[in-house]
Amino acid sequence: MLELRHVYKSFADRGRAMPVLDDVDVQIPDGQFVCLVGPSGSGKSTLLRIMMGLTPPTSGTVLYQGQAVTGVNLRAAMVFQSFALLPWLTVQANVELGLRARELPDDEAKRRAAYYLDKVGLDGFEEAYPSELSGGMKQRAGLARALAVEPDLLFMDEPFAGLDALTSANLREEVLTLWADHALPVHTVVMVTHIIEEAVLMADRVLVLAQHPGRIAADVPITLERPRNKRDQGFDGLVDSIFEKIV
Amino acid sequence: MAEARATSRWWPIALIACVLALATLAEGPKALSVARGVVRQPGFAELPAAAGWSLLRMTASYVLSLAFAWIVGYQAATNPRAARVILPLLDVGQSVPVLGFFPAAIFLFVTLLGGGRWGIEMASIFLLFTSQSWNLAFGVYEGLSTIPLETRAAAESLGVRGLLLWRSLLLPACIPTLIYNSILSWANGWYFLIASEIIVAGPVEYPLPGLGSMMSRAFAAGNLRLATGAIVALMVIVLVMEFALWRPLRAWSQRFRYDSQSPEAREEARFSLPDLGLPALIRPLRGLARAVWRRLPTRRANEWLTRGGAGARSLGRALRWPALAAAVLIAILGVVAVVRALRPPWPPEAASVPLALLFSFLRINAAYVLALLWTIPVTLWASDHPRGARALSLVAQVGASLPATAFFPVLVALLVDRFGGMEMISVALALTGMQWYLLFNLLAGAQRVPNDLRESLRSLGLTRGAIHRRLTLPACMPSLVTGSIVAWGGTWNALILSEYVAYRGKVYEVLGVGALLNRATFKTGNRTLLFLSLAALVITVVAFNRLVWDRLFRHVSARYRLEG
Repeated sequence: MLELRHVYKSFADRGRAMPVLDDVDVQIPDGQFVCLVGPSGSGKSTLLRIMMGLTPPTSGTVLYQGQAVTGVNLRAAMVFQSFALLPWLTVQANVELGLRARELPDDEAKRRAAYYLDKVGLDGFEEAYPSELSGGMKQRAGLARALAVEPDLLFMDEPFAGLDALTSANLREEVLTLWADHALPVHTVVMVTHIIEEAVLMADRVLVLAQHPGRIAADVPITLERPRNKRDQGFDGLVDSIFEKIV
Repeated sequence: MAEARATSRWWPIALIACVLALATLAEGPKALSVARGVVRQPGFAELPAAAGWSLLRMTASYVLSLAFAWIVGYQAATNPRAARVILPLLDVGQSVPVLGFFPAAIFLFVTLLGGGRWGIEMASIFLLFTSQSWNLAFGVYEGLSTIPLETRAAAESLGVRGLLLWRSLLLPACIPTLIYNSILSWANGWYFLIASEIIVAGPVEYPLPGLGSMMSRAFAAGNLRLATGAIVALMVIVLVMEFALWRPLRAWSQRFRYDSQSPEAREEARFSLPDLGLPALIRPLRGLARAVWRRLPTRRANEWLTRGGAGARSLGRALRWPALAAAVLIAILGVVAVVRALRPPWPPEAASVPLALLFSFLRINAAYVLALLWTIPVTLWASDHPRGARALSLVAQVGASLPATAFFPVLVALLVDRFGGMEMISVALALTGMQWYLLFNLLAGAQRVPNDLRESLRSLGLTRGAIHRRLTLPACMPSLVTGSIVAWGGTWNALILSEYVAYRGKVYEVLGVGALLNRATFKTGNRTLLFLSLAALVITVVAFNRLVWDRLFRHVSARYRLEG
């Protein structure tokens, strides 16, 4: 369980403190797929970074499995909108990076990287450099890099925003398949998106953030049966009700 | 490549601190006077040894500059408070010409260490260091501070820390700017070699064996054959390094750019020259590096790094007040030194400092206008002839890598006693250093104009001239200003070489700050004059950079940016 208690966050802007998040209280049980939606400037990405331990909250606490998260949570991994692959490393070396940081032996790191590259459909591209890949393939590499550290928690910051419609639809399906795959250790996913349809399509639960400053405005459970489709009954109704909560 | 500059209110303070520090050091040895030492004239037989010594000295200074750049650049990029002090200081350091560091070099290495060969060598290396290190530090700062936020967060979220972070992110991120600036630094070092290998201290001048000292002495004695020999040797070294080292390194560094998928970068890689054996050299080295990395006690090194960092921080905290007290003490000493240096009687030349400054300013601007007059039309022509543009950009790259000092003898021999004599020569010498940077930057700017933009104007029926006026020239403005900042600032430093030339036993000089600095160093040894002209020069350059170029750069890059 990931738990945020009274999390505040403010940034200094020309000497003044600008509040970004205001008293956020969230509990995310294991195995849940949660989407954070909200207008731009509502602090979605900041909230995600606080959950990951990349940014400390100004006040409040983050607990994972009952323990306070003080630095980067090494039981978690993150996927970024800009893919954030290192351009000077091959796909394989990019995926191995987190394993090297955990000081895994060479052959184990190689084996694991190959396994997850295969899982995301990138076998055969181990020796390619990121600049030689299409956007969709780059994000697959980013996904493999996050999965390779075998995290319990996966954070995704608008992972499909930089991709074209067809590619993002495909990748969305694959992320859901990977999430449902019991062979993989990752079961809990928190994803930031600004597309409400995407959230309703993927999540068990949608957290709606309001802006200035960011706070949880609504907590909407999505109980539609999986696999879901945009033409499912009740889909449009859910999208509309979330949309109203944002506006 | 835009130089990273901090907009802060710290720079006047930094400037004053710098001037004061220089003045403090200028209080060093009392007897800095006329060079009387009679040294045997060098001959051709010493040429290879001289070349070796110069190369060795340059390498030593470059390695020191790299270390300095990493420490200072890393501090500036990771600590905003430190950046507010470091960046203006680097800016000022960059605009102090090498002669301005002479008193410091002599005080530190000759007076304190004794005047042995090692002291003189270190003084010379220090002088080269002052011409190489500043822009390298800017390069590291720029490389580290332009790492995309998400990339940084990605490395952190994977738990990458310590040595692995350096190896996988920080070092590679700096490679493009570091290589670009290394090329500039070496060019700068070669340029000022001629001024850095003869150390004047006390009643004796110490010429070190080297190409720079050989050139200037052969030239002063009118031995044109030996001077030419030294110049040819210098050019051979520069060209070999350009083709065997820098060009392949530059092509290789494309890999370390975040935007390496842009067609422009690929274009450049395709037209770069063959790698001339460097990859064959690098491959076994890479294997070796990997083997060493594997055997490194990374875990212990990481612990050591963290502990060292924490130790340094607590040491810094503990020493904050003593350091502040020391700084205040130094400042007081500096004020005393300034007062003493400015105590009358002033030398008669002191009255000519303002006029000299004005003349130097006019001379530099004349050279600048001349350089623009030929580089802009050439760039416009090249924008219509892609093949010509590629040839030209090779010429500009090689031209910029050749030290302009190499052209001096030719120009002086051609122009002395003709066409306005030394006035003409000093403008021409300034021009030789300035024009390549301008051409290089202008060509790069013209190449960045997207082809579909050009085609859209052509399809609207615009003539070639109209396209130049409405598209190519405005699109070149940001790179023109960037090139101008480098060329214009660099030429102030080059004044010390272009306003005062010793040729065939006779000194040719014009009224200018550069000439005054030379006189104060080599002829009269007058510290008051040295200090006055140095302060006038540094304040002019920094003020002009801040008040004119920085604003122009901001305006132009906001107004004429092609993307977004």
